[in-house]
Amino acid sequence: MAEPSAAGRTFDEEALPHLDALYRVALRLTADATLAEDLVQDTMLKAYRSWRQYRPGTNAKGWLLTILRNTFINDYRRRKHEPVAMDVEAAEPYALERSIAESDPEGTFFSQIVDDKVLDAVDSLPTEFREVLVLSDIEGMRYADIAETLQIPVGTVKSRLSRARHQLQAQLYAHAVEMGYIRAREKQP
Amino acid sequence: MSHDVNCREALAHLQDYLKQEITPDVAREIQAHLKRCRRCFRHARFEANFLVMLETRAAKGTCPKELRARIVAKLRAEAETEDA
Repeated sequence: MAEPSAAGRTFDEEALPHLDALYRVALRLTADATLAEDLVQDTMLKAYRSWRQYRPGTNAKGWLLTILRNTFINDYRRRKHEPVAMDVEAAEPYALERSIAESDPEGTFFSQIVDDKVLDAVDSLPTEFREVLVLSDIEGMRYADIAETLQIPVGTVKSRLSRARHQLQAQLYAHAVEMGYIRAREKQP
Repeated sequence: MSHDVNCREALAHLQDYLKQEITPDVAREIQAHLKRCRRCFRHARFEANFLVMLETRAAKGTCPKELRARIVAKLRAEAETEDA
């Protein structure tokens, strides 16, 4: 195995505990189980080979996710169909959330949507929105760590996150209306 | 120094508030506003429910056992190549 890092921890000890998170993120980025498996495997091998570059005591999960994300962008992104951004709430940022929130203040319709539909909706977001949403709201990473992982400013993380959530809510709402979980909000005169 | 935030300011900080990515001072101001303003309170609750739903639905997947085993085997093979 790779030599223990300066902190005395081996690659196995530092990296293997993050396999579940890596797999979840890979699945959301690729939206394809086979590609996700390849991506996680490629990531782990690359990480192993560059283990000496890992700074002990820093965020191993973030370091691995950076490798995973870069591998995805460089080698995988062009292999799959790239979703297109929906032009939601372009003029009034809170209009959509407000109208959804007003017709279902508790957000109870969320609980009626099956897991797979939620994941499908996440997978249909454009990559730049999807990756921040996955890292923040699914994997629980802090803004600063996401900014470092994606090499973008914190402000960009926040604005993308906000748009990603709006778009996801709009899709789930549309799905809930379609399935009859909730009634569509009546059009204002 | 605390000040009364209005709805616009409260909404601007809402996402950061829910993710606990703001200073305690600002968090207290937002909280005070949410206690006063029913409309913003309901909006905040909707957003909070959304975030909880998303995390509980999407954060439970695990790496398949076969993949884990394959990766560990690849790492062992890599280590042996280095040692050789």
